[in-house]
Amino acid sequence: MSHEAHAAESHEEHPPTTIREYVMIGLVLTVVTIVELWASYNEPILGSLLVPALFIMSAFKFAVVVAMFMHLRFEHSLLWKLFSFGLVLGTAMILAMTLLFWNDATDAVGGPEFHTGSTLNEASKPGGAPAPAKH
Amino acid sequence: MATAIGAMTHTEEDYGLWSWLTTVDHKRIGAVYTVAGFLFFLVGGLEAVAVRTQLAVPNGTVLDAESYNQFFTMHALTMIFLAIMPMGAGFFNYFIPLQIGARDVAFPRLNALSLWIFLGGGLLLNSSFFLGGAPNGGWFGYAPLSSIEYAKTSGMTFYVVGLLTLGVSTLIASLNFAVTIINMRAPGMSMMRLPVFIWMVLVVAFLLILSLPVLTVGLLQLYFDRVWGTSFFSPATGGDPILWQHIFWIFGHPEVYVLILPSMGIVSEVLPVMSKKPLFGYSAIVFAGAAIGVLGFGVWAHHMFTTGLGPVPQVVFSASTMAIGIPTGIKIFNWLGTMYGGNIRFVTATYFSVAFIAMFTIGGISGVMHASPPVDGHHQDSYFVVAHLHYVLFGGAIMGIFSGLFYWFPKMSGRMLDEGLGKITFWLMFVGMNLTFFPMHFLGLAGMPRRIYRYDADLGWETWNMVATLGSYTIALSVFIFLINVIKTMRKDKDAGDDPWGGATLEWATSSPPPAHDFDVIPEVRDRDPLWHDRDHGIARAAVPEHNHIHMPPPSYFPLIVALGALLLAVGSMTHLSVLGLGVVICIYGVWGWALEPTD
Amino acid sequence: MAAAAHETQPATQHHTTMGIDNRKVLMWIFLASECLFFGALISTYLIFKGDSLVGPYPKEILNIPVTSASTFVLLMSSLTMVLAVYGAQHGRLGMMKVMLLATVLLGIGFLGFQAYEFTEFVHEGLGLTTNQFGSSFFVLTSFHGAHVTVGVLYLLSLLLASNRRTGLGHDRALHIDLAGLYWHFVDVIWIVIFTIIYLIPN
Repeated sequence: MSHEAHAAESHEEHPPTTIREYVMIGLVLTVVTIVELWASYNEPILGSLLVPALFIMSAFKFAVVVAMFMHLRFEHSLLWKLFSFGLVLGTAMILAMTLLFWNDATDAVGGPEFHTGSTLNEASKPGGAPAPAKH
Repeated sequence: MATAIGAMTHTEEDYGLWSWLTTVDHKRIGAVYTVAGFLFFLVGGLEAVAVRTQLAVPNGTVLDAESYNQFFTMHALTMIFLAIMPMGAGFFNYFIPLQIGARDVAFPRLNALSLWIFLGGGLLLNSSFFLGGAPNGGWFGYAPLSSIEYAKTSGMTFYVVGLLTLGVSTLIASLNFAVTIINMRAPGMSMMRLPVFIWMVLVVAFLLILSLPVLTVGLLQLYFDRVWGTSFFSPATGGDPILWQHIFWIFGHPEVYVLILPSMGIVSEVLPVMSKKPLFGYSAIVFAGAAIGVLGFGVWAHHMFTTGLGPVPQVVFSASTMAIGIPTGIKIFNWLGTMYGGNIRFVTATYFSVAFIAMFTIGGISGVMHASPPVDGHHQDSYFVVAHLHYVLFGGAIMGIFSGLFYWFPKMSGRMLDEGLGKITFWLMFVGMNLTFFPMHFLGLAGMPRRIYRYDADLGWETWNMVATLGSYTIALSVFIFLINVIKTMRKDKDAGDDPWGGATLEWATSSPPPAHDFDVIPEVRDRDPLWHDRDHGIARAAVPEHNHIHMPPPSYFPLIVALGALLLAVGSMTHLSVLGLGVVICIYGVWGWALEPTD
Repeated sequence: MAAAAHETQPATQHHTTMGIDNRKVLMWIFLASECLFFGALISTYLIFKGDSLVGPYPKEILNIPVTSASTFVLLMSSLTMVLAVYGAQHGRLGMMKVMLLATVLLGIGFLGFQAYEFTEFVHEGLGLTTNQFGSSFFVLTSFHGAHVTVGVLYLLSLLLASNRRTGLGHDRALHIDLAGLYWHFVDVIWIVIFTIIYLIPN
């Protein structure tokens, strides 16, 4: 926050993007979405790279919309810092919570296997898929 | 109608009820916040006295188990959300614009909205006593104590809806304060010239902005569990009670710093002025405050060491918790450094500030003890923790707030509080709080669990419980004497003058109480201690232009309408969809009218 | 382009320290706060993933083609929104109004898809209380839907206000811009939700 008392010359100006460029960005976003769908439907091709690839593509879309459509790229750096603080904290929280619950023995408390399983970590998750991070 | 309101002038003489209901003046809003917060402080204090009376002797008969649960739960909720935070918000409202040299906050009407929603939420939460029982599952509302199976009365529903309402109010206020501090500073008031109090408010605002939404989600899930039959937190059908604990403490631990940082800010204002020395290590104290804020988001699971987190999370959260002791220690040394070699005036505000440092240090040290998981396992849910948190919140937060009350009362009312009565208040409160809370360390180590409503006679707990109860009566007496002091002071003529303490910050550069527009001329800031700098360099205050027309925002009743709508929404979510619908309609009407209301 | 800028957007009336309008700072901080709101909801969804004791399970019930269509609708609404902002900033009021209307309609379209999806799920036996997937799915997506609804009302009120005699006043570009920030944010949150719920194999 060192940009004190700058009379913002840039504030009154608009992002230097033209209608044509906006449409092109929309097109790029659509194409990425189609690639995402294709990847999701063809799981075996990407294998274990699928989930990282999907996250990278959605992060790309996220970044493009925020930077261009929300024109954060052309704004005072303060706004970027304020927003990214929340964004980073929110992402870190999702990550931390996922890790904390990664091998959560209490997940299976309601199921019958909990009482019969030999160790807590082996207590299988009844019904449904394994935890998301295990792919 | 809107134009009619717009035409109403907001003059100094206008103190009718309508002028208070429609006010957008940050000073009036701050005053209402402070008074309301203090009244809730009295309510929460009476609840504490009832709890202590019940525990004075073994097998007490004053309260039964159910009302005991309601009293200790409401004591915590009232003190945290309805007393300490609003009294803090009162100071924030009143002094942010004055200390940064602005005429008002960034969004005056949002400011009024947060006040009215707060009052509505506070009354809603307390009305539960008369509507089937107050919340009884602790302020942390752990599942399954909060689930419909074990908390059948509507108490915990009031908890959910009340906290959601208060959360909305707090979020609005925090957004407003953050924007004001970032964007409304007087010329020359760079970030590193902000008073430390303002810095701490900025940290608090961001803590709330970023942690309240998490609590909101947790409360909504609890609401769905209780009202719509989902099972987010009930293990029998696949839910997880530990999830609630994580969500609650991701909010709850930053909240602890929300309670203590304002008092740290107040102490950082009072000590330099009373020592007639600039604050020692300004940048260190600012960065320490910001570091506490950032680290505060990474320590939540230390409340949950006994839930079986596993070794890695225990080490991580233990380390991050101990790390918070470092910036806190920096602050304590800086306050001591400020006083060292100073020409100290021992007025009541100084007493409270010095006591803050000592008491907060005790609470801080027992806090670091809990950071060690093996030790924490022994302390968990014992009176040792009660002792710790009260040294931080009473010895810390409340002592700081009283210091602020004595320091700023002259500015807010134009009158000096009586020093003689003030010192009696201080000594009674200081002795009382130590009598109440220090024995709790012994009780905790002797194995007395928290939240039990009675205990048997042969456990060796009688003596210290009796001492603690007598201590709580002493605190009550000290607060009573403070009330007498306030009443006595308000009946005398204004005697404070603009600057009774020889203050360094901008609020002392205007009259006491300040005019509606705060400053006749917006001051120019040349130093961290602007008034001392101008005094030492012989710079006179800028002359008031002859035709000084200052435009202030007109009063508005739309905040009141939107708040009414929000309150109906809250009530409707507990009663009937039609009430909820009415609330939505009123909110939409209010927001629409708000948007179209002329503010120029 | 700079000349057009000065015509349509007079200097802000109130001086601010950072030179950015207060309302814009407010909106960005609010969106930072919303990141934590949706972060907590998404965390809950991920934690409960695979914890359902009874069916229907996600892979049996999620209709990816339909949701892809609704995702496309929301994506296009972002494009029309940004064109509305462009129109407002360059004084092309007709374009602004048409694009606002298009955004509102696309937003309603998205909500329609969501209503259809919810009805289908209930039809196939997945209710709010059926299992952990149902609870965390419905709460996450319906709070996103609630945000879209607020956005539709927000844009609709701007559209109505822009048709008044006085229009949106001298802050027109800012008003549309702020609504746009909110709208795009709701869209990017959907980008994340779409990936996490629908695209990652269940």
